[in-house]
Amino acid sequence: MDFQGIHDRLRAIGAPGLVGADEPRQGDPKDKKDKGRAGDPFVLVDPQRLTDFLRVCRDDERLCFEMLVDLTATDPAKDQAHLWVNVQLLSLRHRQRLAIKCLLEKAAPRLPTTVPVYRASQWHERECAEMFGITFEGHPDPRNVLLPADWVGHPLRKDYQYPKEYHGISCE
Amino acid sequence: MSDTHTASGLGGDARVLRSGEREFTLDVRTQDMEINFGPQHPATHGVMRILIRADGELVTGAQPHLGYLHRCAEKIGESVEWLQYLPYTDRYDYLAAMNNNLGYSMAVEAVMGIAIPRRAELIRIICAELNRIGSHLIAVGTYGMDIGAFTPFLYMFREREWMMALFEKICGARLTYSYIRIGGLFNDAPPGWFEEVALFCDTFEAKWPEYYDLLIVNKIFVKRTANVGVIPGRVCLDFGLTGPILRGSGVDWDLRRDMPYSLYGEIWRDGAFQVPVARGEMGTVGDCWDRTWVRMREMQESIRIVRWCLAHIEEGPVMAEIPKILKVPKGEAYVGIENPRGELGHYVVSDGEKMAVRVRVRGPSFCNVAVLEDVLPGALVADAVAIIGSTDIVMGETDR
Amino acid sequence: MQSGSNAFLEALRAIAPAAVPDWVLMVTAAVIGFAIALGLISVAALFFVWLERKVAGHIQCRYGPMYAGGWHGWAQSLADGVKLMLKEDLVPRDADRALFIFAPGLVLAAILGAMAAYPLAPAVFFGQFSLGVFFIVAMSSMTTIGVVMAGWASNSKWTTYGAMREAAQVVAYEIPLGLSLLVPVMAAGTLDLRAASAMQSGLWGMDWLIMPWNNPFMLPAGVLFLVAALAETKRAPFDLPEAESELVAGFMTEYSGIRWSFFFMEEYAAMFLMSAVGAVFFLGGFESPLTHLAAQIGGTELFVRDAAGTLAFDASAIPYQIVAGLTLLAKTVFGVFLMMWLRWTLPRVRIDQVMTMGYKYLTPLALLCVVGAAAWEAIKHALWS
Repeated sequence: MDFQGIHDRLRAIGAPGLVGADEPRQGDPKDKKDKGRAGDPFVLVDPQRLTDFLRVCRDDERLCFEMLVDLTATDPAKDQAHLWVNVQLLSLRHRQRLAIKCLLEKAAPRLPTTVPVYRASQWHERECAEMFGITFEGHPDPRNVLLPADWVGHPLRKDYQYPKEYHGISCE
Repeated sequence: MSDTHTASGLGGDARVLRSGEREFTLDVRTQDMEINFGPQHPATHGVMRILIRADGELVTGAQPHLGYLHRCAEKIGESVEWLQYLPYTDRYDYLAAMNNNLGYSMAVEAVMGIAIPRRAELIRIICAELNRIGSHLIAVGTYGMDIGAFTPFLYMFREREWMMALFEKICGARLTYSYIRIGGLFNDAPPGWFEEVALFCDTFEAKWPEYYDLLIVNKIFVKRTANVGVIPGRVCLDFGLTGPILRGSGVDWDLRRDMPYSLYGEIWRDGAFQVPVARGEMGTVGDCWDRTWVRMREMQESIRIVRWCLAHIEEGPVMAEIPKILKVPKGEAYVGIENPRGELGHYVVSDGEKMAVRVRVRGPSFCNVAVLEDVLPGALVADAVAIIGSTDIVMGETDR
Repeated sequence: MQSGSNAFLEALRAIAPAAVPDWVLMVTAAVIGFAIALGLISVAALFFVWLERKVAGHIQCRYGPMYAGGWHGWAQSLADGVKLMLKEDLVPRDADRALFIFAPGLVLAAILGAMAAYPLAPAVFFGQFSLGVFFIVAMSSMTTIGVVMAGWASNSKWTTYGAMREAAQVVAYEIPLGLSLLVPVMAAGTLDLRAASAMQSGLWGMDWLIMPWNNPFMLPAGVLFLVAALAETKRAPFDLPEAESELVAGFMTEYSGIRWSFFFMEEYAAMFLMSAVGAVFFLGGFESPLTHLAAQIGGTELFVRDAAGTLAFDASAIPYQIVAGLTLLAKTVFGVFLMMWLRWTLPRVRIDQVMTMGYKYLTPLALLCVVGAAAWEAIKHALWS
């Protein structure tokens, strides 16, 4: 199925948390500021319902997304109020991919963990947590995965301040 | 990182004996040993630390600790220009650098929506497949060394030297190439290069049975790897494992055939290559032997793909028309390609500027390491080495 | 052969003034013998290290040492020895200092002691050993104590693994080793290396015990002996105690410099001795057509008593002694080469598989060989003597 088909199926089965979809489009010729958007389409999902949404994606026969390929986050800009959580799903049986985006408030970035649905997200969520400061509620093992346990700050945020020194080693 | 060491009283009971009027109390407490596998260790394929809890030789718990090779590649992606990021892509999976370049370039090209000249596509595939051979040679060679067979490692490096010499001729570098660029290639192949590649293919194909007989079907090697570290197919899907691990567990999935990119769709339709999927020939499907077998067979298939490309090579430009200072239009894309270790995914987000908003690298080894927590318990310490080796992880890709 | 004396002692008796008491001569002979044994081990270790690197290199399609000393890097081990002597003497802070320092010494002392039973030539030997091979096997087993001591004293979990594996492995393979040696001992009728070698001198020096006409169970026993010897000397495919890619360096991890080289000297000396035992009991020892020839052209005893009872030195026996000694040396070196060849070809067997193999397969097979060989010998004696 192409993206349209997947989106229609999601709406037909009433997938929980589905907010909308965003597809690439040409810019508006009348509006010079609007240059459009290139690349891949994605669906927008409410982050608090993400786990249930993923469960439906995995279990529905026509969708059948057996594998969670990637779960990550993006900080689009310093002045934007939201973080994105990006999920990439893969269906081996139907040979299709799905890109999911959730918008999280930067002030309180919390959402339930998706580990009950895919074990793959366990380490991906750990990385998101340490890099962006997102809390995945109910995560079985919320330790840092790449950074040291005592690292201060969330490096991949746009407003991240590099530390001056770490354990006596200068970071200038 | 967890730094607590707890002494678990495994089998700790107080047994009470009666002897006449007196009671004796024997307090027998045994203790699981907690050992550090790494970060400096000959068999962990890079800097990784696995905290292993072992009851004698039996592993009862394993906890991988990463981050020793974390070089902030994703953060750097946001502060350098699109083309300047290419050398950083070489350095995550340094054993298959061409594939990394390809993945990143394809992701950016997907956002830009440009077409690549055919000659560039063909040479890209040749380089990616030759690099796949080189990467698998190291994977199987060092795996043999982990098991104790020192000699096949050196034989395989002999072929790898040749591959690196070929790459040196085409782009000047032996390990980190930055050759496959956004829009095409850095430069065209020098005259005589394709003939040398054909010669390499013929020679390597003749040497392959030598490695197979010396290492893969050696009775001792089979005893060490068959029925060891079995990962069932559904566990692979649940953990997001891809590549030889997935195919070694019997799941028939290869991105080059099932979600084709570049010219792989055409090559598949021409019947030029097959996808080796393990059937549990020497033991249970999904054991270490199967994964190694898949890697050996993939080398043969790569030779066939390279031969197809050599037969269809045509003249033309090797770079599309793109501006020198690249400004990628606003948008985002995810492109996953078949790395020697699994699905290498690049998710790039652009704001229309000279630099990316986000470059996310989905390294297959990062996902592959996660399964060790579940597979290692229940194996012996010597098996732990065999299992870690069979997942073929490269720490550059795991930590980025 | 004179009993109760050896070439050194006889030579000293011949040249010493009469006033010197006999016990002084015996002590001097012992000291000379000790020095020669030590020298032999050192030179053997030097040579075998070089040989191992060349064999490894050529099997792996490369050259190995080529520079040190000129021709194919013959001085490489000398250079390595000098380097090791100049290294810092490191004892880990938390290691059991006394045991840590004592262990390599024990290991080397054990193998040096076992070396006493190795005959350099039919008349040049360190001491009369009617227990010959039994003594060698027993002494070389003492090295296990040293290895376990080293692994424990290093106070590291990895070395403890190596030590435990070594103990388990050696215990498992002592039995097939002894049993497989029982077969040629039965056929030869003696434990003494020199005597066993002497009884294989028929058929122009080719009446070796391993030949099929002597006893068909000799060949399987020989193969069993090879496998057991590999396990005893911790060589691949049984090199788990020092399993490089798993345990860093096993029980030797914390050792560096000269102490580490003691372990390596012990390993090569043990290989040498096992190979020598195999050469004597299976491959004819001193005997070969060349030795037979040398025995025809000159005498065979270095010291002969003439009719009056005085000892005289018979110089015509020297060619025979040299040829015989070199024959045994050549067979021993071939055995060591065989062990090296196997090391660089085969992967490593896992410890539980090693134990399974030792207890469940090799021991019954060895018992079968012993029983079969005994039956064969009995039938042979009944029918032909």
